[in-house]
Amino acid sequence: MSGVLLDVQGLSKSFTVRRGFMGGALATVHALNGVSFSIGPGEAFGLVGESGCGKSTAGRAILRLIEADSGTVLFKGESVFAADTGALRRLRRQMQIVFQDPYSSLNPRRTINQTLSEPMRVHGMGSSTEIREAVHAVLGEVGMPSDAAGKYPHEFSGGQRQRIGIARALVLQPELVVADEPVSALDVSIQAQILVLLRNLQQKRNLSFVFISHDLGVVRHFCRSVAVMYLGRIVERGPIPGIFDEPLHPYTRALRNASPVPDPAAKVTMAKLEGEVASALAPPSGCHFHPRCPHATEICRQVYPPWTELSSGRGVACHLYPPEPTGAAPS
Amino acid sequence: MTVAPATRETGALARFGTALRRHKMASLGGGIVVLAALSAIFAPWLSPHDPLEQDVLLRLAGPSADFPLGNDSFGRDILSRILWGGRVSLYVSTASVLIAIVLGGAIGILAGYVGGLFDRIVMAAMDVLLSFPTLVMGLLVVAMLGPTVGNLILAITLTAVAPFARIARAPTLTIKERDFIEAGRALGFSNLRIMIVHILPNVIDEILVMASLWLATAIRTEASLSFIGLGVRPPTATWGGMIREGFENILDQPLLAIFPSIAILVVMFGLNMLGDGLRDTSDPRLRHE
Amino acid sequence: MSDASGRELALDVRGLTTEFRINGRWYPAVRDVSFALKRNETLALVGESGCGKSITALSIMGLVPKANGRVAAGQVLLDGRNLLALSEQQMEKIRGGAIAMIFQEPMTSLNPVLPIGFQVAEALRYHTDLSESEAKARALELLQHVKIPSAARRIADYPHQFSGGMRQRVMIAIALACNPRVILADEPTTALDVTIQAQVLALLAELKAETGLAMIFITHNLGVVASIADRVAVMYAGDIVELAEVGELFRRPTHPYTEALLASIPRVDRDAGDLKPIPGQVPPITAMPAGCRYADRCPLREPRCTQESPPLSPLADSAEHFARCWVRAGTGGSAA
Repeated sequence: MSGVLLDVQGLSKSFTVRRGFMGGALATVHALNGVSFSIGPGEAFGLVGESGCGKSTAGRAILRLIEADSGTVLFKGESVFAADTGALRRLRRQMQIVFQDPYSSLNPRRTINQTLSEPMRVHGMGSSTEIREAVHAVLGEVGMPSDAAGKYPHEFSGGQRQRIGIARALVLQPELVVADEPVSALDVSIQAQILVLLRNLQQKRNLSFVFISHDLGVVRHFCRSVAVMYLGRIVERGPIPGIFDEPLHPYTRALRNASPVPDPAAKVTMAKLEGEVASALAPPSGCHFHPRCPHATEICRQVYPPWTELSSGRGVACHLYPPEPTGAAPS
Repeated sequence: MTVAPATRETGALARFGTALRRHKMASLGGGIVVLAALSAIFAPWLSPHDPLEQDVLLRLAGPSADFPLGNDSFGRDILSRILWGGRVSLYVSTASVLIAIVLGGAIGILAGYVGGLFDRIVMAAMDVLLSFPTLVMGLLVVAMLGPTVGNLILAITLTAVAPFARIARAPTLTIKERDFIEAGRALGFSNLRIMIVHILPNVIDEILVMASLWLATAIRTEASLSFIGLGVRPPTATWGGMIREGFENILDQPLLAIFPSIAILVVMFGLNMLGDGLRDTSDPRLRHE
Repeated sequence: MSDASGRELALDVRGLTTEFRINGRWYPAVRDVSFALKRNETLALVGESGCGKSITALSIMGLVPKANGRVAAGQVLLDGRNLLALSEQQMEKIRGGAIAMIFQEPMTSLNPVLPIGFQVAEALRYHTDLSESEAKARALELLQHVKIPSAARRIADYPHQFSGGMRQRVMIAIALACNPRVILADEPTTALDVTIQAQVLALLAELKAETGLAMIFITHNLGVVASIADRVAVMYAGDIVELAEVGELFRRPTHPYTEALLASIPRVDRDAGDLKPIPGQVPPITAMPAGCRYADRCPLREPRCTQESPPLSPLADSAEHFARCWVRAGTGGSAA
């Protein structure tokens, strides 16, 4: 393990929203609340959770596409938040993003060549000829034919557009890619194609990923470790497959149990998980998950559980696993 | 169900070309506009006579072999004056609309992209401008600054900027939420680049539709101001001025007022048809989105 | 009406073919689709986008857009009556009555400016002769039945005041209002979070068990299929390519497409090893090949496959398991 590529500490972000129709009351949504994790070079790290958990916000905050309220993000030791315009531009070359919606991620008025060459031109990465060659090279890398360069996005299918979006993220030769639900909008058979492509690219270029997804199966397949988020906080973090085979946090377990698997013998179980995902506008007191948790006790209603680091790289924020020397884990 | 996409081009003009070929009214309108523009541009060569040349003997004469549309109250050739009058209309309307597009478009895109307080203030300013009817603005400017072509253009531009700002701002609000804009920021593009290279081409359709409709308004305004004597000064031929003269002589020679009126009518009709056609055909169907 | 085994049939679809007109020519989006839906059975229609599963449901309901679509052939028998032969007026009585439909996006299926209680009661008032107050009472019952918390208080709330999962429950309540015999659910949980999806699936299973209704469940998610279906019809490019009881399908996926699909899905419960994506793409509707529509992407392709389209045939050792494949089920028996 040659050091840390990305180090996120205490990332927090709130939004104020206006409730009601005309000039209603202002409310605060804590989209991110003290999110911390770190990733090494060439590592695929998953961020999972359901809608409203903050995973997409985290991805964007890391890249400074959204300005976080507090926290630090260090990329190869350099602070992303403290970077000035010039430094940020340099950093941006090394950290890129792939989006979920292939129909929104490409400018419909630009050819593929223009879309792919523009970043290289803006960053002065070579002469026209070199850039043109680089465009062809990256198209080949993502499995697109060379003649795609002269065409427009509407001439391609969703899966192909996603490949082009990936190509665009690669032209600046980044070391980290934030992939925000990169396969969720694709058909099942295309999902597999893109996952295989991403895996190949990762190996070839030693890319690190922040892989954001709500699909545990996809994350299990692609990532080495994962953090589970709920209402803006990480509730459990750990290596794969351990965290899915033996989840510690009740929410992780519920998430895993609720994820459908293509096996009729393994029916989706609910495990008494009633209730809605709590509203981010009014998160429950104490542990945000307590209203839905089968193991909730009095302390869960009062105090947000502290983070416990266990051996083997696992961590969890749950009163079932208080931070003690022995750190025993009841099942 | 996957349907094979229909056309390849998405350059704005190319798309409009394809669309127009399919939309008969727009083609007709486009044809008229092109014809009018060409005849205005080539007026010096097309006019059979000097538009300023007077011949008292031919006062208010009707159409004849030498003068197909007759003569006005000074004996000047109506046909030549209409052709030359078209030049004024063309110049004033195109100049004012072009400036309004550039100014209004820039303001609209900027306000839409930046958002927040800046957006609110700018749009409030636009609202103020919008509250002036074009003719009233024309009267104000000409009355204060004098009846020159330049001031005419200024007047029309002032009223046209606000609608173009609005028409540029609305799609900007939607487009800036699209992922490819965020991708641009992630790739280190400056905001200026994003606005010009990425937002503007996606907004240009609406602007062009509005442009053709505003050209009609500009022509009408110029003619109206000339009609009430606040436009381009005689003896320069202008359609509005000719109609005014025609009114003074309406009992003696109604054709004097009718021909320039028809000219205005036809060109505005053409522009409106073109604009309607462009609007109809620039829907998302054509963008395959 | 009953099938060969004598079990009562809720719905019998025979040879359904629906076409769309593109650039002046008619192309089939659904081709010769046949299946029998028994009482108290959940049939999953599974396939990727463009396979025709949604169009099948719309065709059954008589909701194919008339501008450029038409049902070209087939019968849909409900109690012996062919729904495709009914007039629009007659179909209106059936929709929401004997057959109800649940859609994917509850926000667009519910009227945003009407309270949900009103919308549930509306279905009741249209199809039954309950009075307004009776309908309102029954609406409240239904909302409680689908486990909307504090239903009595929330009956006057508007759709936007509910979460996605709750709105879908409202949709289910509306669908159930008139005791339908068949429910068509078109990707009802696709837009929901995983834990909410689990709740809604459990609710549907419960309601089905209580009322004995039959359900056609459309989805692209094979995991959901395994969870909820009794029988499965796999669709590809407008054809049913495999039809089997759910356990049998997952134990012995016979059609190469089904097999390939299962091999390309990553799972949360075990390591998938290397995913094997299916090469190529679905052919566009305007350029469907003669012969088997999957042949282009199929590793088992034989010359015969590109010449003639195989019929949906039962497997040699399992009369209730059908596959449309020359190589794996080429006995040439008749379709379901």
